[in-house]
Amino acid sequence: MSLAESPVHSSSSDDFTGFLERALGSGSSHSSPDEEADYESDDGSERSTKRRKVENLGSIDETQGSTSQIFVEENSEASPKKDICTHPGSVRDLCIVCGQRVDEKSGVPLGYIHKDFWLNNDEIDRVRSTDIKKSLHLKKLYLVLDLDHTLLNSTHLNHMTAEEEYLHCQTDSLQDVSDGSLFRVDVMHMMTKLRPFVRTFLKEASEMFEMYIYTMGERAYALEMAKLLDPRKEYFGDRVISRDDGTQKHQKGLDVVLGHESAALILDDTENAWTKHKDNLILMERYHFFRSSCHQFGFHCKSLSELKSDESEPEGALATVLEVLKRIHNMFFYESKDNLIDRDVRQVLKTLRKEILKGCKIVFSRVFPSKFQAENHQLWKMAEQLGATCSTELDLSVTHVVSTDAGTEKSRWAVKEKKFLVHPQWIEASNYMWLKQAEDKFPVKQTKT
Amino acid sequence: MFFHIVLERNMQLHPRHFGRNLRENLVAKLMKDVEGTCSGQHGFVVAITGIENIGKGLIRDGTGFVSFPVKYQCVVFRPFKGEILEAVVTMVNKMGFFAEAGPVQIFVSNHLIPDDMEFQSGDMPNYTTSDGSVKIQKDSEVRLKIIGTRVDATEIFCIGTIKDDFLGVINDPATA
Repeated sequence: MSLAESPVHSSSSDDFTGFLERALGSGSSHSSPDEEADYESDDGSERSTKRRKVENLGSIDETQGSTSQIFVEENSEASPKKDICTHPGSVRDLCIVCGQRVDEKSGVPLGYIHKDFWLNNDEIDRVRSTDIKKSLHLKKLYLVLDLDHTLLNSTHLNHMTAEEEYLHCQTDSLQDVSDGSLFRVDVMHMMTKLRPFVRTFLKEASEMFEMYIYTMGERAYALEMAKLLDPRKEYFGDRVISRDDGTQKHQKGLDVVLGHESAALILDDTENAWTKHKDNLILMERYHFFRSSCHQFGFHCKSLSELKSDESEPEGALATVLEVLKRIHNMFFYESKDNLIDRDVRQVLKTLRKEILKGCKIVFSRVFPSKFQAENHQLWKMAEQLGATCSTELDLSVTHVVSTDAGTEKSRWAVKEKKFLVHPQWIEASNYMWLKQAEDKFPVKQTKT
Repeated sequence: MFFHIVLERNMQLHPRHFGRNLRENLVAKLMKDVEGTCSGQHGFVVAITGIENIGKGLIRDGTGFVSFPVKYQCVVFRPFKGEILEAVVTMVNKMGFFAEAGPVQIFVSNHLIPDDMEFQSGDMPNYTTSDGSVKIQKDSEVRLKIIGTRVDATEIFCIGTIKDDFLGVINDPATA
């Protein structure tokens, strides 16, 4: 049983629309003043050719002559226009410059801006290079922010434990979200906790950066979270990128970000998502508030929610990273002597990171598996990125012995020579905190006697 | 452009509506079903203005539903290439801006915005002339020309330009 419309005047109205398209189309091509002038002069020549034709042939019908003339004229006008347009991008298969149908899409899809929005690579380069000049002039860089475990933590309502039930009474109203931090988002069946300090973080970061959200969550979720973080749409605007908008599966990429790579920083807790842009990445310590989130990552201790506790606001990860961002911003704009456009934020990031453990010489003991190539280990690399020198040999220039066991030969040597003996977490903590941590906070326990 | 045309539709009516108010029920259902919808051929049906004729009902076997062929007059809206439209800006970004004229969405690329208007980022992104006298931002009203249309079964999308004489902002919410 179809309820389809059966239009009465289908054929006639169809003809009519076709007629209108033609009439409006031909009328519009003469609307700009130069073209109008052309038109007038053409008109003049038209009359003269008409006259000539009449003179020469005499028998040709005048109206016929003039219509064919106009037809030819229109064609010659349309063809160079077609050649000029390179179709730099398209929305819903329509070229954004000439409005014509484009069947072959090339370049990068920017689905977060509009459904079926494509820009080709030249156009993206053009947008980026005009934009970066403006941004640098305004002293702004680009910042790409992850959602889950970086700015907030969410859990499915069904996954909440009995010990977390009390949270239902503490949720903040969704009417005015600008002050709250714990929300029940019923449309997504989610409970969301914003990371402490996030409001201040976004406010201050927005003065230094043009900010993007980039999450591996789905689009609807990303938009809901953006509403919580940025109710007035002053920070992110339409720059909310979700899993559906990426160009590669399980990967995030700066290719869909309309900012230059040399001026973009990324905050994310998952290093593997950004294999192509590790130099832009500032790795964040994961924020686990809910039990289900801890469980997912293999922690079987009590979660912050169950302990009725939370990350410290003034000393938490976001406060730390904001300070780092401020220093990078400062170094980029005020301490570099290079030409502004040639500066690279990746270089600044690298330099700043190298300051952290500068002057430390590290020897590892019982950290790597015995047959493992030490130089390739993640901790070794991390220590070197932080500016420390790593070695396998003990000598008097060594400052730190990193060990999991106080009983090893190297560990005992460190104690004897009054060198620092620290747990591997010392390196990781320094990496996350962007500051050399006090060695006595990371003692090594004796495992064997 | 708006048109006043006559369309026909087969309406299926549940037996519970039969009785004294059959005609009213039929018209009410027609309005509910048709107004606001879009057809590729005619564009958006804005409003039904009158009923021309209701044909003889045909009882459907097995269901008891009756289908009536209804001819009705309605106002439809369909944008054309070359047409000048007034639209409200909904979103502004580096690539241009999106605007809406009723149910029709229009994108105006920065290639088709006058060269003296530059993009300004910030919490209220906008295109502004160097002297600041003209500003296009969210909720601005602009007059634009359609240069391309894509008509689908349920929606119409257009590409527009304001790079021409007498086009551009017609009412700025900031100064109004």
